[in-house]
Amino acid sequence: MPLYICNSRTGLISNQNKASIAKDITRIHCRVTDAPSTFVHVFFFEDVSRIPLGDKQAMLYGQIRAGRTVKQKDELVERMSETIHIHTGILRENISAFTTDTPASWVMEGGDLLPEPGEEEAWLVAHEAKNKQQV
Amino acid sequence: MIRSSCMVQEDQISDEQEATLRKEMEEFCQKSFDDSVDIDWIVVAKNSGFTAGVPSTSVLVSVSSNVILEKQKRFELLKELCDVWINTTGLSTNEVVGIITDPPN
Repeated sequence: MPLYICNSRTGLISNQNKASIAKDITRIHCRVTDAPSTFVHVFFFEDVSRIPLGDKQAMLYGQIRAGRTVKQKDELVERMSETIHIHTGILRENISAFTTDTPASWVMEGGDLLPEPGEEEAWLVAHEAKNKQQV
Repeated sequence: MIRSSCMVQEDQISDEQEATLRKEMEEFCQKSFDDSVDIDWIVVAKNSGFTAGVPSTSVLVSVSSNVILEKQKRFELLKELCDVWINTTGLSTNEVVGIITDPPN
């Protein structure tokens, strides 16, 4: 978590562009939220009904940890929409992006509940120490 | 009915493993929530899944609880859910993401 799902019309985003967009989305999320990159998942789909495209050509849905500010969320969707536009040429008005909040304590990753926003560094230290003990 | 979505990478889970996971998810939901599970099994196509900006080997398993859960209870259920996947698939702890949501308000 976060999980970013990008749904687009079939054939609009090449595999090469998916890789570039995923790198950018990861970088943007980490820069805006200070989250570690290992938390960031980006999955691409084409014309799936669970994230309806409506009249858009690409839709980015981000399920992120609760606690981010409105300003952070606005920056995430703005910058991520822009990177999809840059890599694919899809016009900005044909790209939609939004996020929803999920409490950190609802998610387990690496065997631990995810940290609250701002507590990532301490979580990573404890998590890595636990991993070393288990090796 | 408990809703669940299981996002896996293409060719990551064999048909046999999927059948076992479906059975174990049913048992988990019956035991934990006293209800059956409806699984949305979602395969992420090759070259379409990324974690930390590189090709992903992660699975994301989400279950919608039918009751509001206290933190400790949710932790125990998440641990059990993730262990089902780790033990059946051979994936590492770091490759399994579990999510258990409360019912909508």
